Amino acid sequence: MNAEGNGADIAAERGGVEVEGESGGLSRKAKIWLALGIYFGIFILLLLIFGNDGKNDAFKPQNEFKLDPWIEIKIGGIDFSINKAVFYLLLACILTIGAMTWIAKRMTEKPNRIQTAVEAAYDLTKNNITGGNLDDETATRWFPFLATLFFFIWFSNMIGFIPLPTNTENTVNIFGVAVPSFAIYAATANLSIPLALTLVVWISYHVEGIRAKGLIGYLRSWLPPGLEDMNPIGKAFIFGIEAISQFARLISLSVRLFANILAGHLLLLFMGGGLAVLLGLAALGALTFPLAFFFFVLEVGLIATLQAFIFSTLTAIYIGGAVSESH
Amino acid sequence: MDLLLPIAQSTTKVTDTGISDAGKAIALGVGAGLGSIGAGIGIGIIFGSEIQAVARQPEMKDELQAIRWLGFALTEAVAFYTFIFGLIAFFL
Repeated sequence: MNAEGNGADIAAERGGVEVEGESGGLSRKAKIWLALGIYFGIFILLLLIFGNDGKNDAFKPQNEFKLDPWIEIKIGGIDFSINKAVFYLLLACILTIGAMTWIAKRMTEKPNRIQTAVEAAYDLTKNNITGGNLDDETATRWFPFLATLFFFIWFSNMIGFIPLPTNTENTVNIFGVAVPSFAIYAATANLSIPLALTLVVWISYHVEGIRAKGLIGYLRSWLPPGLEDMNPIGKAFIFGIEAISQFARLISLSVRLFANILAGHLLLLFMGGGLAVLLGLAALGALTFPLAFFFFVLEVGLIATLQAFIFSTLTAIYIGGAVSESH
Repeated sequence: MDLLLPIAQSTTKVTDTGISDAGKAIALGVGAGLGSIGAGIGIGIIFGSEIQAVARQPEMKDELQAIRWLGFALTEAVAFYTFIFGLIAFFL
């Protein structure tokens, strides 16, 4: 291209910028439409090439969350078998204890990056979760428990997003050894573990409330203030509602954590190819796979930390509500 | 179910389990969809109010941040409750 032509091109482009607000030949709107067109174009192209294989009945997505016993232990009809969930639980415990003691032993005057991150997390549990919701005396007593809850749930959620060779149902043959294929699973995606944590929290905040006010005083404190001159039947009715709400906390706290993590894993499973396999539409994978990346970033960046934060914050609020003088 | 059966049999040969499966699928879809609408409105209100509050009092930003995430997670969980109950209806 000669200099004159080049100059003319630039001039034309400038003219375009002034008149239509265009840059690089295409407006932003056109670029978005082009990207969407390519995105759906690839889908339609692949659909035409590979076609529809029909519904796949052999693939069962719920098997991804099935727990096959690795080492069978049965004591008196109760199943104590070691399985995937137990493995993830152990891993989370080891990581929580190991990482924290490792950091604590290597504390330096000039903090490195890991120490800075852990100090930020410690600060969050100390000042925000515990200090923000409890008075000083209760905060000192309950800080270790709340911080452990936070870190345990956080580690448990985070290792759920690292692919580990735990899928014993489908094995890959490497040099004659059946190696389990990679799978993602989290201990918190099984209702038992959030429910066990919730039961610990639920019992401990009631015990703390009874210790602070006595049994009668604690039960009386369930009633909201301003009902002093109400008749006993109305009071009993409101007390019944409050009692139900105490039991509803048991469900809401456990199911919130469980459902968030399970739904995240299901989304990753379906978007990362599960839907394409299930429906026998290979082309659908091209459409859903970018979404899988988006959901992975969302889950790792926000949901995993947020659920740990919410669980421990709500625990602190429940304990604070049980010991505080006014309801 | 008994009301729907003659209609389905008259038009196509749909088995009893087919109708029950369809019912479960509709329950999952409608339930999770309606639940998402509610949670979506709720999350919108939370973030909208937070933006308004910070615009009025920018110095409150740090305090509002913790409350915002608490409200967001509590509201977001409602959508997942419906989703999980839909899955329970679908698979169990």
